[in-house]
Order: sequence, then structure tokens, then C-alpha cells
Amino acid sequence: MQFNDLLTVSVRQVIRHRRRYLGVVLAIALGVAGFINILTMSREVKKNFNEDLDLIGGVTVIRLSFDNTRSYQPQWFRSATLAALQRLKGVKELSLTAVKGGATNYRGQQYGFSLLAVDDGYWGVRSFWAQTGNLFGPGAVAGRKRECVLGAELAKHVFGSLDIRGRLLEINNEIYWVSGVLGGVTDSGAANSAFIPLTTGEDRLAGPLLPDRLYLRCQTWDDVSRVAAAIPAVVKSTQSPEELNVEVSWEGLKRVLQLAWWIQFLIYLATSATFILGGVGIWNVMMAAVVTRTREIGLKKAMGAEDRDILAQFLTEALCLSMGAALLGGLLGRIMTEILGHMIHSRPPENLFFLGLGLGFLFAVLVGVGAGLYPSLRASRMEVVTAIRYE
Amino acid sequence: MNNNLTSAGGTNGALIHISNLTKNYQTDAGAIQVLKSVNLQIYPGEIVAVMGPSGSGKSTLLFILGIFISPTQGDYILGGADVLRLDRDAQAEFRRNRVGFVFQSCDLLEHSTVYENLEYPLIYAGVDRRDRPARITSALEMVNLGHRIHHSSNQLSGGERQRVAVARALVNQPQFILADEPTGQLDRSHGHQIMDHFDEIVKSGQTSVLVVTHDPEMAARCNRICSIKDGILYEQ
Repeated sequence: MQFNDLLTVSVRQVIRHRRRYLGVVLAIALGVAGFINILTMSREVKKNFNEDLDLIGGVTVIRLSFDNTRSYQPQWFRSATLAALQRLKGVKELSLTAVKGGATNYRGQQYGFSLLAVDDGYWGVRSFWAQTGNLFGPGAVAGRKRECVLGAELAKHVFGSLDIRGRLLEINNEIYWVSGVLGGVTDSGAANSAFIPLTTGEDRLAGPLLPDRLYLRCQTWDDVSRVAAAIPAVVKSTQSPEELNVEVSWEGLKRVLQLAWWIQFLIYLATSATFILGGVGIWNVMMAAVVTRTREIGLKKAMGAEDRDILAQFLTEALCLSMGAALLGGLLGRIMTEILGHMIHSRPPENLFFLGLGLGFLFAVLVGVGAGLYPSLRASRMEVVTAIRYE
Repeated sequence: MNNNLTSAGGTNGALIHISNLTKNYQTDAGAIQVLKSVNLQIYPGEIVAVMGPSGSGKSTLLFILGIFISPTQGDYILGGADVLRLDRDAQAEFRRNRVGFVFQSCDLLEHSTVYENLEYPLIYAGVDRRDRPARITSALEMVNLGHRIHHSSNQLSGGERQRVAVARALVNQPQFILADEPTGQLDRSHGHQIMDHFDEIVKSGQTSVLVVTHDPEMAARCNRICSIKDGILYEQ
């Protein structure tokens, strides 16, 4: 039997019995679509979680600092180091910070606090947002303006209110304009701190200001361990890594990784279940087809079909079903990818989609051959007389 | 195909030569002898009728001649070849190239067109796709059904279905046609039409037909009539 005849005959049979096969085709198509989406979109979704969810986002932040209290020669992060760290695979963004002691005298009351001189990327890296007012941006940093943001606790202590935008505050004998109050998941340290632009700090604060702290946000939680492990060598390549501390929220990261693993496992399980269900469906409909088409098999053998012709026909029908389902799944997968991409404002690399499509097709073929083989073998080994006499 | 065949001589020009053919079936109650030392020769251009009551062994003989089952013992030479010594695939090849079948129950493939029904034997015989329409049309015209070529088999009457079955048996231009009660489910007039087609087919002198029938009137139209009783074949 020639291949084009085999294909024509099998496709014709599948189309004629399409109603019988609809459920199976849909099951496999959904499996393929799900698989494509997991493969294509999972990294984009993780990135999105990382950007939007403070709690999960927090575990992707690595804190680097030099312990200058133990060092004879004070260290700070050089621009070459920042550039090298930014080039590390898996690093999303970083923010440079310097800390000084801060003090204010407001209406006769003295208050002490931590004063952090930060760049404009600080808020994004640490997932902070403005509870009231605004957090100063690139304009304030570039313009070396005397603006400040207060932690919520400090704002309450000093002003007795959080609605303090536009108020003036004296910090270390300089007057600053308050632009807002810090929000987000903040620890007590941040809540009791004041934040000024790093450039302003360099100009206004007494004594040398050493930017010896660096916050580095990874693209996803999967990148954290690798990036953390690579940091000392990267720093060493540009400056002395003496007394460098690399801090990762390992406990939180472990929990997030566990949670993500379970979610991913369950999605894969559901996808596998759909594939298996599709396979069982193909097995079932093909077994039923062998029974209902027993006379047809007998007739074809009487017309001269060899065992391998019957085997090839039933197997090709099973393959047509699974390939057709994979094609439909690919289409559904594309639509779902587009919708999801639109929802999370992110577009995965196109080659990832084609990889998913290819693997989806491969699985579908394996399901088709695996599930269709036994019924096809059974059909091919049928005795002509038994088949012809079958009622 | 002929490479696989064992040449057998001594058939006196017979297309079909069976000798001492015996078939036993094993049952719980012991062996049942369905055919007992059957001898039969069929010559090219002959129509031979085989008659007999139900259970006499007619169908078993037909199935052996169609190479669907093997006899317990005996020889079967078809067109000079000892077909019983062929392997399973070679027997299938022999069936599709040398033998045509017409079954009692108008066995057409359901939900397929007349064209598709006739195309299958050609597909299995490896006939080129471009040559098929002419051969199918020619076979259908022999049974006066050329106009039904693209109709679904489900749309045909009983007589038409049986004529399509005859055309399908003819389409590969076989040497030997086996017909199992081809007129059994037809009225007299349609039955005679089928027999007319068989007459037409054997006219060339190349093809022979063996018809299993219960109907003496149809049997009377054949060149020879054999009857089977209790597994023994008698020639009338």
C-alpha cells in the first residue's frame, strides 16, 4: 500500500467518524495547548510575579554590603563593579545605597534615625511604593535636589501624620522638602528611616559618603542561587572583595521555590493527565473501531490487504487523530499565549513557542502510536473468515 | 509474485485443481470432518455451481479455495501454483491478484462511495492512481452501473449493491471468481442479471467462476453443477 493511499484512506476514515473522535481530539488538544503555555509562558509569568508581588519579589533581592567597621581600608561599590554585576545573567536591576546617621530637630524635639542616600532605582528594586505623596524619581537624583521620603513610623513620630507631602524637614542641618511616605512591605528599619537622593547626600552630608550597600534584584527566583554564588567572583574581578557580605533571604526563597515547584508540578500533572486521558481515549475509540469495523477488516483482507496494510491503516488513523489534535492544540496554545502575554504585558521569545509546539507534536505522536498500536495489531491479526462472518 | 510460487504440473490445463482435500475441525466433542477427500478441477472459462444443504461444507470449500483457511490435508493448485505452500503475505498477494470474491450479504464498505469500494483492491494491488479511474469505470460498466460511480454504497438497492460487489471482484481482472450465494438475497430478475454478468466475464476464456448457491435455477445456468453432501463432493 502506497503512502499517499494510506494517508488518503486514513484521513477519510477519521473525517467520516469525526463525531466519535471529537472528545479524544479535544482532550489531546487541551493537553498540547497547556503544555505549550507552560513551556512558553512560565518564565514570563514568574518575572511578572516577581515584579508585582512584593512578598515573592522580596526573595529575589540580594543584599550586598561591605562591612567597613572591620576593614582597615573602607570599601564601596565602584561603577565597574556595578556594570559587571548588571551584566550577570539573571540580574534584573540593582540599586546603590549609602547609610549615615540622621537627626532632626522638629518643633523643639530631637529625633535620631537612619539616613539612606539612594538612587532612583531603589524603590523598584525593593518593591517600595508611596503610601502618601510620591517617591522621588530620576529628576530629583539627577538634579541633586533636597527632597526626602520618610518611613511611616518616622513620619508619625515627627509629624504625627502620614499626609506630609510638601512639608519641610531639617535633616543634619539641611532643609529638605518631603515628597512622600514610604509604603510596601517594609521592616522596622525602613519604617524608621529617611531617604534622600544619593547625589544630594554626596553634596550635602558631612564627611565621606561611601555607597557600600547594593540591592540586586534577580529576574526570577530560579536565578537567585546562581547569581548569589557568582557575585564574589564578579566583584573580585573589578575590586577587592574583602569584607563583602552577600545576603539572601534563603528561608523565604526556599518557601517560594517549594510553592512554585508544587504549582508547576500540579500543572504538569494536569497536562500529563490530559495527555494520558487522550491516549486512553484513542485506545478506547480505536478498540471500539476495530470491533465495529470487523467486517470491513475481513473484506479488506479478502480483497488482498496484508496484515501490515491493516496495521498501517489503523495506526495512521490513530496518528491522524493525535496529529490533528496537536494541530488544534497548537492553535489553542498560540491563542492562549497571546491572551496571557497581553494580560501580563510580556511577550515570550518566539522560538520558545515553536519549541513547545514541536514537543507538543512529539508527545501527540507518541500518544497516538502508543495508544493506537495494540488495537491496530489486533485488527491486523484478525482471521479473514472470523472477520467476514462477524455479525 | 510468481517467484514465491511453486510450480505444479499435472493439472491437465485446469485453472483450479484440488485433490484429496480434507478439512477437520476440532471441537470439544472431538474432530469433525467437514470435507472428505474432495477432488475438483475447474477449467478456464467455466462457471461451476456448488450446491448442498446448510452445513454440508460448501462455505468451508469456498474459504479454502479463497485461501482464507488451510485444509487438514490435500493439494490445491491455482493457475499452476501450489498456493497452500505460500506464506501469509504471499497468499494475500495471490488473493488480490488472482482471486475475486462476491459475498452473500452484499458486503460493501459502508459510508464509502462505489468508486472507493472498487478502489481498495486496486490500492492493495499497487495499481497506479492514474490508472484506477479507467479500470473502475470499465468494471462498473460491465455491470451497467457506470452512472452510480460516485454514489454512496448506502444509497444503492440490494441488486445494485450485489452488482457493485461483482464489479469489485472484477476490477483486478482475476483469474478466478468465488461467489458465495451471490443471488441469495436478490429477486429472480436481479439474480439472473448477476448470472448474466458471470456469463459475460467468462466469455474471454481467461476467467473461471465458482458459485455456491441453493437455487437450482441459478445453478442450471452454470457449465457444471457439483453438490456436497456430508463433506463429499459429487459431480452431477
